[in-house]
Amino acid sequence: MSVQEILADENELTHLLGAQQAVVLSTRIRLARNLEGFPFPGWAKPAHRKEVAERCIDALTKLPRFRKSHVFKMGDLPDLERAVLVERHLVSKELASGKSGAAVISRDQTCSVMVNEEDHLRVQVVKAGWHLRGTWNIAEQLDDALGASLGLAFSDGLGFLTACPTNVGTGLRASAMVHLPGLCLAGHMEKVTRALSQDGLAVRGWLGEGTEAAGNVFQISNQQTLGLSEDAILRHLGGWVKTLVDQEWNARRKLAQEEGERFVDRLARSLGVLRSARLLTSAESMNMLSHLRLACDMGCLPEERRHVVDRLMIEGQPAHVQARQGAELDSDGRDSRRAAAIREALRDFPEVGPPTA
Amino acid sequence: MPNPLKCSVCDAVATVHLTQIVQGKVTKVDFCEACAAKGGAGDAAVFKLAEAVNAAAPAPAITCPTCGFTDVEFRRRGRLGCPSCWEVFGVALNGLLAKVQHETQHVGRAPAGTVPVGQLRHRLLAAQQEMTAAIAAEDYEAAAKLRDEVARIAAQLDAL
Repeated sequence: MSVQEILADENELTHLLGAQQAVVLSTRIRLARNLEGFPFPGWAKPAHRKEVAERCIDALTKLPRFRKSHVFKMGDLPDLERAVLVERHLVSKELASGKSGAAVISRDQTCSVMVNEEDHLRVQVVKAGWHLRGTWNIAEQLDDALGASLGLAFSDGLGFLTACPTNVGTGLRASAMVHLPGLCLAGHMEKVTRALSQDGLAVRGWLGEGTEAAGNVFQISNQQTLGLSEDAILRHLGGWVKTLVDQEWNARRKLAQEEGERFVDRLARSLGVLRSARLLTSAESMNMLSHLRLACDMGCLPEERRHVVDRLMIEGQPAHVQARQGAELDSDGRDSRRAAAIREALRDFPEVGPPTA
Repeated sequence: MPNPLKCSVCDAVATVHLTQIVQGKVTKVDFCEACAAKGGAGDAAVFKLAEAVNAAAPAPAITCPTCGFTDVEFRRRGRLGCPSCWEVFGVALNGLLAKVQHETQHVGRAPAGTVPVGQLRHRLLAAQQEMTAAIAAEDYEAAAKLRDEVARIAAQLDAL
């Protein structure tokens, strides 16, 4: 069981041809759940946390979906490996920064459960592309299976009881990871963010709370978890994502039309730099890879190359670069290894052509 | 020096003065040199000490009998101690829930094998409203169906 296997195994976010879609990178469902009769992790004594972890890991590893799953105890993992899991969104920064949490991750990396984060259980299901119902169905099945084997903390009036009042009720956080270069280039993101937050949705950067939107990638999620049914929460998010996708396409087409050759030039330059640079910082490569993804969406590059771009966005992150090298690297070392990996992956990419979409 | 400030911990003359501003809330604390050194003057640890000093001032009004968590602790962490805390702090939390969630009643799923009371209540209210609307629109066929649904859900809830 090692994080190296997570890196080596092909999964749908990084490898599966055909799973990727334009604009929406991935769909994610998170459920916060707790065991009845135990203090929440932040207030629990070590003995309680240990017992909760044993019960949860035992229940999870018995489920068919978690057959041959990875079980990682944060206290046993080196810093670099924990950072890889954070960069893959398989665990949160909070879980990785403590020693007492654990994560159970399904073989295909679609389902991951954090144990003893802020709540006893944080069940997460993620699919490449936009599949809100399919993702929810898996989460619902997992929730039912866990509810049947573990006594979950629940009240008729307040729903699933969580450590923080912002999660009580459904404990559901549904989100979409969206790539919005068109809206960013057109300077509309501030307006979009304001509209979304006024309607109860949070907009965050690539790595969640408090992070910048590297590569024009944003995470959109519901805020309210109480007083709305799961279905209503999903419909609300789904409606907005559809609107965003439409607006993003409008912005892209308008840009391509107004800018003409300048639009194609911008994308072609990014491919040129990525294909020959010897040193690439994380932020620089993210922004240029964003151009390549846009090029694949617009037909300037073949669509079947999109999954390569998505994989490089994930594997170009600092901990990934170092874990691949099997050693900690200084910043020049990272930039050099990142550039080499990107050069290699883009070697047989065709030239950027005019948009067809 | 007239009226020198006193140390918040031990009442000695304070020579270390700290001001912390978090989201517009200003907190001022004063320490004597010895107490400041204990907290590691000049770094975040001092503010932790300051927080503890400030938070220790009010006595807890509510304590959870199951896990010993208090309202003072909640104000400090913004998280509860255990599932039972929700019942213990219940009324005190309603204002906060109305603010952060805009609602105070669960209407979603329930754990596997239990009756989703929240969902049923929610559907009952919706069916009653739809029935009223159907009657107003003189759609008596739809109204009759909704009346049956209302009766069925009400019976289900009564049986609990």
